[in-house]
Amino acid sequence: MIWLALTLLAPLGAGLAALAVRRAPQAFALVGAALGLVGALGLFAGAAAGTEISVSLPFLPSFPVLLMADRLTATLALLVAAVAAAVLTYAIGYMARDPGRARFFGTLLMFVAAMELLVLSGDWITLLAAWEMIGFASYLLIGFWHQRPGVAGAATRAFLYTRSADLGLYLAAFVLIGTAGTSRIAPTLATTGTPALIAGLLLLVAAMGKSAQVPLQDWLMRAMAGPTPVSALLHSATLVAAGAILLIRAAPMLPAGALLMVGIVGGITTVVAGMIALAERDLKRLLAASTASQYGLMLVAVGAGAPVVALLHLIAHAAIKSSLFLGAGIFQHDRDGTGLEALAGAGRARPGIFAGFAVAALALAGLPPMAAYFSKDAILAAALASPAAPWLLPMALGGSVLSGAYMGRALQILWSGTRSETRAPVPFMAAGMGALVVLAVTLGAGFGPLEAMLGAGADAKPWIVPAMGLGVGLGGLLLGWSIAPARLLGPLLAPARNGFAVLGGMDGLVVRPALALAALCERFEQGLFAAVLAIGRAGLAAGSGVRRTDRETIDGMIFGLVEYTIDLGGRVRRLQSGFIHRDLALTAAGIALLIGVLLAAPFYP
Amino acid sequence: MPLLTIATFLPVLAGLVLMVLRDRSARVAHGVSIAATGATFLLTLAIWARGIAPGGFAQVEQITWIPAIGAAYRLGVDGLSLPLVLMTALLFLLCAIYSARIKEQAATYVVLMLMLETASLGTFLALDGLLFYVFFEVSLVGMYFMIAGWGHEERQRAALMFFLYTLLGSLPLLLAIIGFYLGTGTFDMRAWIGAPPLSGLAAMLALIAMLFTFAVKTPAFPLHTWLPAAHVQAPTAGSVILAGVMLKFGTYGLIRFAYQMTPEALAQAGQVVLAFGVVSAIYGAFAALAQNDLKKMIAYTSVNHMGYVVIGVAVAALAADPRIKVIALDGATLQMISHGLVTAALFFLVGMLQDRAHSREMADFGGLLGRVPWLGWAFILSAFASLGLPGLAHFPAEFQIFLATLDTRPWGVIALVGIVVTAGLYLRAIATVFLGEAQDRWAKMPDLDLRERLVVGPLLALTVLVGVAPGWLIGMIHATMTGLVR
Repeated sequence: MIWLALTLLAPLGAGLAALAVRRAPQAFALVGAALGLVGALGLFAGAAAGTEISVSLPFLPSFPVLLMADRLTATLALLVAAVAAAVLTYAIGYMARDPGRARFFGTLLMFVAAMELLVLSGDWITLLAAWEMIGFASYLLIGFWHQRPGVAGAATRAFLYTRSADLGLYLAAFVLIGTAGTSRIAPTLATTGTPALIAGLLLLVAAMGKSAQVPLQDWLMRAMAGPTPVSALLHSATLVAAGAILLIRAAPMLPAGALLMVGIVGGITTVVAGMIALAERDLKRLLAASTASQYGLMLVAVGAGAPVVALLHLIAHAAIKSSLFLGAGIFQHDRDGTGLEALAGAGRARPGIFAGFAVAALALAGLPPMAAYFSKDAILAAALASPAAPWLLPMALGGSVLSGAYMGRALQILWSGTRSETRAPVPFMAAGMGALVVLAVTLGAGFGPLEAMLGAGADAKPWIVPAMGLGVGLGGLLLGWSIAPARLLGPLLAPARNGFAVLGGMDGLVVRPALALAALCERFEQGLFAAVLAIGRAGLAAGSGVRRTDRETIDGMIFGLVEYTIDLGGRVRRLQSGFIHRDLALTAAGIALLIGVLLAAPFYP
Repeated sequence: MPLLTIATFLPVLAGLVLMVLRDRSARVAHGVSIAATGATFLLTLAIWARGIAPGGFAQVEQITWIPAIGAAYRLGVDGLSLPLVLMTALLFLLCAIYSARIKEQAATYVVLMLMLETASLGTFLALDGLLFYVFFEVSLVGMYFMIAGWGHEERQRAALMFFLYTLLGSLPLLLAIIGFYLGTGTFDMRAWIGAPPLSGLAAMLALIAMLFTFAVKTPAFPLHTWLPAAHVQAPTAGSVILAGVMLKFGTYGLIRFAYQMTPEALAQAGQVVLAFGVVSAIYGAFAALAQNDLKKMIAYTSVNHMGYVVIGVAVAALAADPRIKVIALDGATLQMISHGLVTAALFFLVGMLQDRAHSREMADFGGLLGRVPWLGWAFILSAFASLGLPGLAHFPAEFQIFLATLDTRPWGVIALVGIVVTAGLYLRAIATVFLGEAQDRWAKMPDLDLRERLVVGPLLALTVLVGVAPGWLIGMIHATMTGLVR
């Protein structure tokens, strides 16, 4: 209970305090992250020992907020807290001179709190709420440098893409709650039949938005307009991870049809986004595309019926990808940009940082003994064993080759250019990155016990799997290091550079039709307005025609009475001073008279 | 003590006092205004403290009025009206604080506002059909003069349209009220609710008449055209009251009259009402997306948000499961409050922007967040609340409405598209007005001063409070709705 409160409230409280106090936000960040990490460790230790914590808080009459720390959610909470702590440490160095530090750290801490809420939620409404809150926090963080050109558009796009897909989560939650009669997640996972299929596909849509799966991958590349620590956090353990986490948690409910769709979407994404990454000309955008590709692999694992394997890859990827982003941010500091041309040779100037970056890159390619080696092999094994193996295995292999290829290319460029002079040391940044690289290397050792804890015994893998994994990893690295992407991709290079946008992408398919529909509504609106006005005028004209005939009689009498009353009141006279339509003054006075007559009714004899 | 009566008539009495004062300078007028609305707000808090009775009306105050026709002065509250009364009193207080800068004809303006407050509170509190109608109509007159006197360039035409539209719109309600009277021989709304007097064709005709009136007032497509016109021309406080309080007359009536007094007819016509709600919600969102004038855009989002309320009431009428009925009504009622808080904040903020820049065209601005961070962040928070972000006021309301809709008439959830469209239009507005490069022409724009923060602050705080912990509010709504569904 106290651990749960600490995990959630420490980052939240520190974030609010940083925003309110506006001084020394770094200190708040460190304290909030550290306390949050302590809380998450406590949760994890408790869950590993077999104690589940669940807390219910009042929210809506029939639907309380439920927080739950079981083995799965406590593991995820620890992952989020650990990556957040490292990234916040790094950010102290990265944002050292930014005048908006208080806002940055405040928002980042609240973002972490929202993500912890998401992973620890035990009911669909809390999950949905946290799901949207991390979208909002990401919007603020991607748009952090809001005065720079292009940033507002990137932030807007990120929120709109994910929110459109969020409708899937809304609908899925409605279906599941409606079917089960409760908003708690655990009982709803027993849903079967058509509701399960519908809800499963809807959840997939939501996950595709957050995890940037094809065709909703575009926003992720643009989101690079935000500060680098934000990218590191978004891509590793928070926003983008939310999609995969959702499917991992919902996996027990997904029927075969939904699983197949999950696997196919993931498979297509891992290949397509891998090609986009290979064709990229900007290091951060390359890493972003790679994120989509890796989440594609996780979806393949979920689709192959191995959600725990997907979780392992999620954990491995979190450590690896945040290391890579943090490294990219240090190179960015040195060269004032992240274009690959500008970064050529940047690695030579900082061999230590480059070594860390390279270790993480090799880990992402799936070389032993690093973390992703185990998880990627497990994904290949799961794909091989799945009934949909003919679909899933080739795509998983393709994605793995491409992982090696784009990382090989990045390493080659960082290493082979001209060396520039060394700049000032970056202790905080190096510390944050170092911690994550160590995790990226060593985490694999913990995967066996973790699998056992989560109740998915590691099956003996056929010998072909590690051979394939090693082959595609090494092969990809060599290809990427030695052959230019233009030759590797051939005719696919141009569409890959374009993000494989079909028919103008989302802009062409959704945004423009929506704006056209809006314009149509506006035209209709003007027509409607004119029609109502015309009817009104006709009515007034008819009324004045009638009035002319009896002006001297009834109207004259009433109006005289009104004038008299107004003279008596005196104060109201100003209302009469010219700007008010005479007919309406009459109407108003008439109503007043009517009220007077009615109110006086009890005094009639 | 008859707190309900005192709270209702205190504002108009203060207005009358102001009229006979010798010194009616702007200072005195606004002082009276703030004191009266503040005291009224405190009185409504006292009413809240006294509590409501589940399954009926509480704190009923009754005086014989026209015994010959069974009309009496009757006031009372339940969990439907009390939240609206609290919100009304708060919004009038904030309007009084905001308006303290108005110099031209301040005394008349204040008298009108105070009269409007009495009419609004009376509308929600009245338990007598005739009394309800009188308050309902008087509020129209007040708003007409407000727009015509203190509005913008084309105020007269807009005021006229507003007046004619809503006046003609309310006549059918009078027919329905007379119908109920003829069915029972009394104007006591409690009697009409306790044993719905009409059935069959008569009930359906009464329902159609009421639906017409409330659809104009709410407003629902296609009877909404007066709303954007009136909002664009109305002064800021007028817009706040119009959107925050007076639109609720329509949806309050929908529950109080249509749902409670002609339940069977509403269940029969539920599908049609639902369709109007869905079309309003979607149409309002798209029409808002087409606007370049900030105020007009917010006005159209009201059509969208009030459409959700209509959906909620229709679903409650259609649903078979009483649990779902309660969820839908809880959501619809909460949505009225959320909309009142959030839209009031948005109209205030746009008014403050206009006070500074004398423009509401989005394209005229850019990069304001760096210049006026208070204004900018307040707008961003309100905008995200309006687009239904969880943790802010609209989410718990809309979630319940949509949940009940999917369970009852799944096709109705296509209105969910509205939450994406509103997200798009608010993000576009934020990006154009507040983000991007700062423009030199607004370099001297001052940020919100203390008075303005006092106006917006409570609304934002309540928006967050309702979003995070709606229990205190939804508790009383839920108690009444559970009794109401039975």
